[in-house]
Amino acid sequence: MAEGERAESGGGPGPGRPPSPAEVERAEALKTRANEFFKGKDYENAVKYYSSAIELNPTNAIYYGNRSLAYLRTECYGYALADATRAVELDKKYVKGYYRRAASNMALGKFKAALRDYETVVKVRPNDKDAKLKYQECHKIVKQKAFERAIASDEHKRSVVDSLDIESMTIEDEYSGPKLDGGKVTLAFMKDLMQWYKEQKKLHRKCAYQILVQVKEVLAKLPTLVETTLKETEKVTVCGDTHGQYYDLLNIFELNGLPSESNPYIFNGDFVDRGSFSVEVILTLFGFKLLYPDHFHLLRGNHETDNMNQIYGFEGEVKAKYTAQMFALFSEVFEWLPLAQCINGKVLIMHGGLFSEDGVTLDDIRKIERNRQPPDSGPMCDLLWSDPQPQNGRSVSKRGVSCQFGPDVTKSFLERNRLDYIIRSHEVKPEGYEVAHDGKCVTVFSAPNYCDQMGNKGSYIHLRGSDLRPDFHQFTAVPHPNVKPMMYANTLLQLGMM
Amino acid sequence: MAAAARDPVSATGLDEADEAVRGTCEDASVCKRFAVSVGYWKDPYIQYFVRQAKERKAPEINRGYYARVHGVSYLIKAFLKKTECNCQIVNLGAGMDTLFWRLKDENLLPRKYFEVDFPMIVARKIHNIKSKPPLSKPIMESHSGDSLLIDSHSLDSSRYSIVGADLRFSSDLEEKLKKHNLDIHLPTLLVAECVLVYMTPQQSSNLLKWAASTFPVAMFINYEQVNMTDRFGQIMIENLQRRQCNLAGVEVCRSLDSQRERLLLNGWETARAIDMMKVYSFLPQADVKRIEGLEFLDEKELFEQLMQHYCICWASKDSSNLGLANITF
Repeated sequence: MAEGERAESGGGPGPGRPPSPAEVERAEALKTRANEFFKGKDYENAVKYYSSAIELNPTNAIYYGNRSLAYLRTECYGYALADATRAVELDKKYVKGYYRRAASNMALGKFKAALRDYETVVKVRPNDKDAKLKYQECHKIVKQKAFERAIASDEHKRSVVDSLDIESMTIEDEYSGPKLDGGKVTLAFMKDLMQWYKEQKKLHRKCAYQILVQVKEVLAKLPTLVETTLKETEKVTVCGDTHGQYYDLLNIFELNGLPSESNPYIFNGDFVDRGSFSVEVILTLFGFKLLYPDHFHLLRGNHETDNMNQIYGFEGEVKAKYTAQMFALFSEVFEWLPLAQCINGKVLIMHGGLFSEDGVTLDDIRKIERNRQPPDSGPMCDLLWSDPQPQNGRSVSKRGVSCQFGPDVTKSFLERNRLDYIIRSHEVKPEGYEVAHDGKCVTVFSAPNYCDQMGNKGSYIHLRGSDLRPDFHQFTAVPHPNVKPMMYANTLLQLGMM
Repeated sequence: MAAAARDPVSATGLDEADEAVRGTCEDASVCKRFAVSVGYWKDPYIQYFVRQAKERKAPEINRGYYARVHGVSYLIKAFLKKTECNCQIVNLGAGMDTLFWRLKDENLLPRKYFEVDFPMIVARKIHNIKSKPPLSKPIMESHSGDSLLIDSHSLDSSRYSIVGADLRFSSDLEEKLKKHNLDIHLPTLLVAECVLVYMTPQQSSNLLKWAASTFPVAMFINYEQVNMTDRFGQIMIENLQRRQCNLAGVEVCRSLDSQRERLLLNGWETARAIDMMKVYSFLPQADVKRIEGLEFLDEKELFEQLMQHYCICWASKDSSNLGLANITF
């Protein structure tokens, strides 16, 4: 019908050509139909008919205002906002238009913008009770949000450390476990700790707090991009995700030797969550960090964040074994973990992968202010979340966050930054590792039989200063104590869906 | 009951195995209750049957139960529609399932809804029903005529009946159901969620054969494991064995084909089977998007693996040509 009209009049009404009287009349009829659909709650058809009316007569603010309301009812807030804005543009005195726009903005969480429109309405209709009510409500929300922002930034400055009095914590005589030696981590302490944990015993909270407070200080002094040199005769072992699989971590130390100045390690994130022994894993890793600060490196993974810890078990485990306050401190410490490490200016290591945009340089990484929860997008998010893909270009991530990047992205990033290749983790691989992008993107994953389900091997990489090509070593899962099923939200001993 | 017929030595061994199977009832219900509490779907009744979970369940488990509950429910409602509720539903191994109450809320009750499980579980369920008005009221409301028949292992009302029986003994099962006015001439839907896998292939075949030969117009819905010969499947079997839970019928869970064949070989006319990843993709995607927003899934691998190892199978026989064979996703 509308098509026929256009054919007759040689193009619809528009800025150059106002609607004919016939079109105006027909548009009104369509709007009346639309209103009926609206009353009957058939919003889809209401929108359809309003749209047809608009096609015939695009100068009528009411059509846009009505369609905006139909969109609001179907939660298409973006369209509702666009229509309300158009309505008000066509007729500055159309009060309903301001209402609609305010409602759209409220739904989109843009409370300040909504407030401006409610203010307009109240000015134009000072006796309208409903308008005043909406204005007051909106004003309250705007004030509340401002208050929340203020105290949030306040809380952020105050650390859990300030409310701790570790000195006054006493260790009972009955505690026969490991203690720091004069407040310091020693090799003897670490050996005792690892055995203590192997026997499923708990480290005294005072010692746990001491470790956390000290490691926070050490990590906070590090740059976001850690740059290390590996001399010709030196080597380093790079491990991927360990995910609370403590007994498999012990096995890595069995197979590859304990960390030391001559046996340095890099652990590439995701130390906690999913496995039932995240506390044991993380405190062991933090202990070694304190013992060998320049030869034991920890990088942040996407699981060293509050969101993940809440759902995937670490928060639950810390609260069960210690307290919520201890978890808050863990959270702060995680925020200081560096995001990437570069060896000899040639090999770059990060947990997730490369970037959603071209042109990122090592300097950009250095400049990231990392002591925060990662944002929803951007380089910090990408470093923790992205994945390689086989095809060129970039795609939307299967994870719903960050992106997937192709071999061309890797190649140009490496060229721009004069690197040889990247090592990352983040994805479980059946063989414990995978080489992609023509050797330029290596994945290493060190949690064998992930979640007691996947049956995968774990692996770690040897890098020698003389030859920076990755040398892969695989290993399989070792037995671990049967903690009760579904412990701490992990899928260890997962029974599936019974 | 039938246990008396078995010799004492093997009875104990069997009892231990049965006890482990009974334990899965609580697992499933607790998981469902947790998922409901996070907002995956609404079930106002499950809280009266089972305790709250002590720890969070992993998001893939929650999504898995969501798909299971909605997938099975979809087929059940299709059956109810095709028969215009002039039918029966027999929930085999029902555990603490709340479907009767939810169907009543939606005015979708069949002529009669039967639940069957181990006597110990039935006793517990009846106890919950008796002591909690939100559970007993709907049963009393839908009941007409003389007083309800309740004893320790069975409850019978006009629209709802629950019976303690061993599914491995179908003649005993049939007798008990008929005592509660099972009408074999009504189109009947039998549902088994994670039930057949705990019996030997022989025992589950007998049950399926019994159902196919007893009801002239019927549909069978089976939810359980599939694709169990790969590494993931083997590990699941090992994990379960460590908890003394034996998947006696896992051989049939080799593949979707073996699941289909098992139904066809036991007297059913048509049979279909799809894995839960497929089911998930067939569910109304608007709601799927909603639940995906409830808990962020950090990676898809575990979820996909889990879902590819469970399936929904359904079979029908239709001497009345109601079109049951057309029921599908």
